Amino acid sequence: MIRSDQGYFGEFGGRYVPEILLPALQELETMFNQLRDDPSFWQEYLSLCQEFSGRPTPLTPLRRLSKELGGAQIWLKREDLNHSGAHKVNNVLGQGLLVQRMGKKRVIAETGAGQHGLATAIMAARLGLQATIYMGADDIERQYSNVFWMRQLGAEVVGVETGARTLKEALDEALRDWAATVETTHYVLGTACGPAPFPELVTYFQSVISQEMKQQALEKIGRLPDEVVACVGGGSNAMGAFANFLEDDAVKLIGVEAGGRSFLPGEHSVRLLPDTGEDGIAQGYKTLFLQDDDGQLGDTHSIAAGLDYVGVSPILSHLSQTGRVIADSANDQEVVDAFKLLMKTEGIIPALESSHALAGGFKRAKQMSPDQHMVINLSGRGDKDIFNIAHAFPQPEWTEFLQREAARAQELENASKGEKS
Amino acid sequence: MIPQQHQKLQVMSHAVVGFPSLDENEKAIAGLVEAGVNLIELQVPFSDPVADGHTLVNACYDALKMGGSVKATLELAAKVTKAHPQASFILMSYLNPLYRYGLEKLFEDAAAAGIKAMIIPDMPVEQIEPWLPKLDALGIAPILMVTPNISDERVAKIAANARGFIYVVSRMGVTGKQTQWGEEFENYVARIRTHTDLPLAIGFGVRAAEDLKALTGTAEIAAFCSKYIEWQRDQGSDKAAEKMHQLLQDSGLAG
Repeated sequence: MIRSDQGYFGEFGGRYVPEILLPALQELETMFNQLRDDPSFWQEYLSLCQEFSGRPTPLTPLRRLSKELGGAQIWLKREDLNHSGAHKVNNVLGQGLLVQRMGKKRVIAETGAGQHGLATAIMAARLGLQATIYMGADDIERQYSNVFWMRQLGAEVVGVETGARTLKEALDEALRDWAATVETTHYVLGTACGPAPFPELVTYFQSVISQEMKQQALEKIGRLPDEVVACVGGGSNAMGAFANFLEDDAVKLIGVEAGGRSFLPGEHSVRLLPDTGEDGIAQGYKTLFLQDDDGQLGDTHSIAAGLDYVGVSPILSHLSQTGRVIADSANDQEVVDAFKLLMKTEGIIPALESSHALAGGFKRAKQMSPDQHMVINLSGRGDKDIFNIAHAFPQPEWTEFLQREAARAQELENASKGEKS
Repeated sequence: MIPQQHQKLQVMSHAVVGFPSLDENEKAIAGLVEAGVNLIELQVPFSDPVADGHTLVNACYDALKMGGSVKATLELAAKVTKAHPQASFILMSYLNPLYRYGLEKLFEDAAAAGIKAMIIPDMPVEQIEPWLPKLDALGIAPILMVTPNISDERVAKIAANARGFIYVVSRMGVTGKQTQWGEEFENYVARIRTHTDLPLAIGFGVRAAEDLKALTGTAEIAAFCSKYIEWQRDQGSDKAAEKMHQLLQDSGLAG
């Protein structure tokens, strides 16, 4: 399993934060180190995942699609079947147990696509904690259905209007909140990034994915898969899918980033490939960031709101640099094609984030032979993306539906005002 | 010049390089010095200033569009240190722009530009430590921060590595909001004093003459930054300098 060398993975990682946040990170690290070596804590965590989130998630063979592509046998690890619809809940439930042990009552989180915010709001409701979720104002527009649910669950959702109004700014804002409230509040970081011990801590909880994947592969395939593929935003589902295979050298590990519209600055979110990310120290840690020569973090783009983060897990930067993880990318069009192909041939609606892994995986699977096996981590389900998909493929039917729906909502509001007056 | 322990309170103020423009930075700094401010931070604008409140975040955002950068900061420093030898200029930056520039070269170029001290909020003492011989040789004081939630063990470590003065963050949170002064704060400052003979600068939440009066006799330096940037943003640099002059009069710190 992943263990840092005093917070570092090779040259990446560390803890570069304003002095005010250090005591909280030290407290968290101490608690995490105690619990990580306590087998009863992992059992408590697994029980919560099983009772509340539906683990273990299945390993689904894609028989029709594999035949159509004519290459490797493709399997999906179904993180989309978790409660809340994505792998994010694994980490959040684990951190919820930590919060309880630390005796804190409030959690904050930042979210891009909204899945981590939703998972945090669900966890807070379940465990009786107060939750504040920071989200870029543009992301709120892109993922309003998640915002709606977070508010129904009792969480406060704060739109962040600074800068490019996406995940990067939401993360900065959450850090500012934490600086002011650190004694009573835990920051539920959503991905395997940020200052130590977060990359390691998030990977620890997400490693439940590859723990199950490994066991299921042995049962269903009779051996380990030849390749494991995952999409890479911050890197939490990828680290979860890779963690238990790191020492199995025969298993190739492939991380697929968002190639976006092009490789021009601001048009993509690829950090691990040559001439994309450069090493930098920001947002509390050292990793490969998209940035300019002056060290200003750059703008990003992806068709999937959850993949357009400017940095990447320091663990993945290290594993990519040492060659253990193979970095790849899929552009927006390839992603949409893979998304449609999976739906039509297998009846599964994937998240646009996960569709990057599908696009990268399908390309590779075609080059492999039918006696080889590939597992793709399907990190989340796609119904949250209905508005994005509808925008990508405009259909009069959808527009007409929205108009009727808006009219209905207005009628109900008017009627309710009439009753009150 | 940076004051010694128990000297009269001095006000430290601020420029975000490129805000509202590079030309206006020079004019604004001249106005500050004329008003009686002899400690001035030159902030390298950064895309993600996590320890700053909205005033400085937005100023950074605007400054980047106006050409603010490490290079522009060093060029400005070279001009203003020469024009105002009576003042001390402190380079303030988040780590990444400096790291990209190359820390060794940055320290050398900053010293050559007349910079006397450096504040890097996200560079913890552990990361500064290996650079101390270099910084000492160049005559640059690394300014380190202490916070209300800090342990005594860590204050001791910071005190051992700090030079120039220690930046005492007055409360939990980011820059630019009001702080309540009182017994708890006095005890906190007294606790820091037991570890160091360096002068103390109080920052985060110093926004009015009453705050400066409250800090007189308690600290050697008061960082009056976000409020000054608000004046500059809303009323221009000339008016901001006038208000700074008035503030020093009202606080009994002029002359």
